[in-house]
Amino acid sequence: MLRAAPLIRYLSLRVLQAVIVVWLAYTITFVAMQFLPSDPITVMLSSDTAVDPLVIEQMKSYYGFDKPPIVQYGTQLLNLLSGNFGYSIASGQTVDERIGSVISGTLALSGLALLFATIISAVIVSVVNLSGWGTFSRWFANLPPLFSAIPTFWLGLVVLQVFSVQLRWISLFPDGSALSLVVPALVLGIPISAPIAQVYLKSIETVLAQPFVGVVRAKGGSRSWVFFRHVLKSGAGPALTVLGLTTGHLLAGSVIVETVFSRAGLGRILLDAVNTQDVAMVQGLVLLAAVVFVAINLVIDLLYPLLDPRILAEGLRSKKAGIA
Amino acid sequence: MKHRRLRALAVGLAATVLLAACAASPSTSTPNSASTTPVEGGTLIFGDVQPVTNVQTQGAGNYSVANVVGTLLDRLTYLDPETQTLVPWIASSWESNDTATEFTFTIRDGVTFSDGTALDAAAVQQNLDLLGLGDADKKIASTAAFVGYDRSEAVDASTVKVYFSTPNSNFLYATAAVTSGLVSPSTIALDYDGQTDITQVVGSGPFTFDSQVPEQEITLVKRDDYAWPAENAENQGAAYLDKVVVKVLAEVGLRAGAVTSGQVDVARGIQPTDEQTLKDAGFQVIATHTTDLTTNFAAFRVTNPAVSDKRVRQALQIGFDRELLASTVLSDSYVPAASILPHGARGFSDLSDELAYDPDRANELLDDAGWVTNADGIREKDGVELNVALAASNQSVVFKPAFDFIAQQWRELGVVLENRAGDTTFLNSALTSDEVAFAGTRLFQYGGLGPIFSSPANLWTRSADDSLNALFAAENAAVTDEEQNEFRAQQQQKLVIDEAYALVLWDETQVQGAGSDVHITFTGGDAPQFQGAWVGE
Repeated sequence: MLRAAPLIRYLSLRVLQAVIVVWLAYTITFVAMQFLPSDPITVMLSSDTAVDPLVIEQMKSYYGFDKPPIVQYGTQLLNLLSGNFGYSIASGQTVDERIGSVISGTLALSGLALLFATIISAVIVSVVNLSGWGTFSRWFANLPPLFSAIPTFWLGLVVLQVFSVQLRWISLFPDGSALSLVVPALVLGIPISAPIAQVYLKSIETVLAQPFVGVVRAKGGSRSWVFFRHVLKSGAGPALTVLGLTTGHLLAGSVIVETVFSRAGLGRILLDAVNTQDVAMVQGLVLLAAVVFVAINLVIDLLYPLLDPRILAEGLRSKKAGIA
Repeated sequence: MKHRRLRALAVGLAATVLLAACAASPSTSTPNSASTTPVEGGTLIFGDVQPVTNVQTQGAGNYSVANVVGTLLDRLTYLDPETQTLVPWIASSWESNDTATEFTFTIRDGVTFSDGTALDAAAVQQNLDLLGLGDADKKIASTAAFVGYDRSEAVDASTVKVYFSTPNSNFLYATAAVTSGLVSPSTIALDYDGQTDITQVVGSGPFTFDSQVPEQEITLVKRDDYAWPAENAENQGAAYLDKVVVKVLAEVGLRAGAVTSGQVDVARGIQPTDEQTLKDAGFQVIATHTTDLTTNFAAFRVTNPAVSDKRVRQALQIGFDRELLASTVLSDSYVPAASILPHGARGFSDLSDELAYDPDRANELLDDAGWVTNADGIREKDGVELNVALAASNQSVVFKPAFDFIAQQWRELGVVLENRAGDTTFLNSALTSDEVAFAGTRLFQYGGLGPIFSSPANLWTRSADDSLNALFAAENAAVTDEEQNEFRAQQQQKLVIDEAYALVLWDETQVQGAGSDVHITFTGGDAPQFQGAWVGE
């Protein structure tokens, strides 16, 4: 039974935490970028042609880079609150324009990768626990460490070398076909599925060892019925938490996958922004990533009470420790 | 139990490694017989190394941007790489006064922008103002090579007079630069956002923008009524190709494969290790002969204590074997540098004798400079080891392996090199920092070496040399080519040998892989000439 008051308290606390995390991410990134000796203007102007340093100084003052860091920070923060995310100096577009031009590609890729990761984890978990063949299922339990050890970069290159360059089954470039989205999503999803599957396997082991499972079996439930009806849900908590944490890896992984598969996306833009010290762009992307990350974890935290109503009663601290 | 699992895992890993090894073997194809008459029509797919997001003319100094902008926009003159002379293009003729402070251009008739407006003297005048003065409100920088630019006047519909407040005899060459492309007045009227946006920029070039997937690919279509290429162009009319698609192939390991599998017609940025594979498989490896840029060099940050002594710099300059570097690390496509200007560039001065590898002399110089070899074999002075860091971008794929080689040879002299080449982020942060002893690059030099090295705050040596600057000024004031070249020779002698301000490495080249049926040439600035290119049957 979910009671209203503790639920509301739980919710508001989590939302407040979320806002603080996002603000911290923004501020820390800003401070970190201030420590870099150069600046985006110098970088942009220097490329392959000579540039008059006087011109660099002029441009810096147009963009406000000659003001003290506190002033720059304050201005940027104020602009943010009014919806102005600033200029991507390297590309000449506003930050939201640039993000907007590529976000659909990244959303599709990441969303599909997450879906694949979930499916792969579910398959691994089910096969290990339900298949009759002991050796086979034990072998399957080795997959998560294997997947975790495979570098995304290497996997992507090998896949393309074999299936694109040698066999010509898929194109090196995104060509709108289903395969050109499915393949990179798989490459991204496989390493991400590893921690989810591993944690899920372990927590299911823990659940299976609990007395209530024996009671349900004794009452006549079949192995698979018990598994799908009780064990999967009870063991889902830690796996869900890991799922939320791996959304961070999605952005990092998408930098690699987008580069290898020649796809436009947030990952590539982030890489370019960091390389060219495009401060506003980096800030915008960090903000976006922080918001997405925090939102997903918030949703997962909200799912917890549905999985296990004891959470609200026990308090907030014990849920992450696992169900025991 | 455990052993069986481990064994199974090992078998699985071995299988995947074998798979990767199989994938590395090249596919073979028989080359088509080359056609000598141009084939009309078709699409050429060009694989470049980074996306193009900003096409504002002054920013076209970056190769990837130049490859696109160079075909969307035309320029007043064209620098013929073979003869190193200027060829008429949009300007049919020109002259300058005795003091190189006034230039008069006659603009060719009948040139139009792709939106129908005329490219006449008025349009040229507006472009020159933007290039020479920049636009403060729109945050557009002026072009460094236009140093001393004062103003331009459209005397009549086809004559433009340009005025300089200080002599600049390199100005004419600067009009041939890809960063001096001419855009329509309607484009100049746009704000900065508009001028960087490829969907809004209007030029007079042989190709126009058709569509793009942002950050991923750009499609250009030919302009049917194009009739004003440079005077020496073989194709004096519209392009042969119907379409050019520029795709981003950021991952260097896939570029050769993209060519061999026919997924691109031309791929830029081929590594030396892939060149032989491509040749063996019957594909073309096109190494450009670059004359518009300096050689690849690593400038010494003269204010850095480790290299502030000229003897240390001279020692490092002759402390490695350029010939051996080229034959072991680089491929046949790379020519060791004999100066800071490449072979074939106007005013090139062959200093290869003075650059010959001489470890004995290098050791002597380092000893003279007070750097004594310590117990670890590293030179030391006042308790500080001779440990220097190098920053260079990844636009040149060979910087890192080349400097790994150089580091080995310098180690024998007792100098330790921290090789951070290829790390663009490190380079960007090192641009304004004296702590990094070297910054490696190669730069366009249409305006001579002056714009690169003259300012005390220049990004490369981070200091100025008055006598060198006097030579730059003298070059700009020289009116005949002979006089100019004389000063350029003196500059090279001083820059490379006497003061050793820059470590000269190899002539710049960009190596492309291409299908055997592709016919394409490149400018002296390494830009593909799509207007004259065709894909054979």
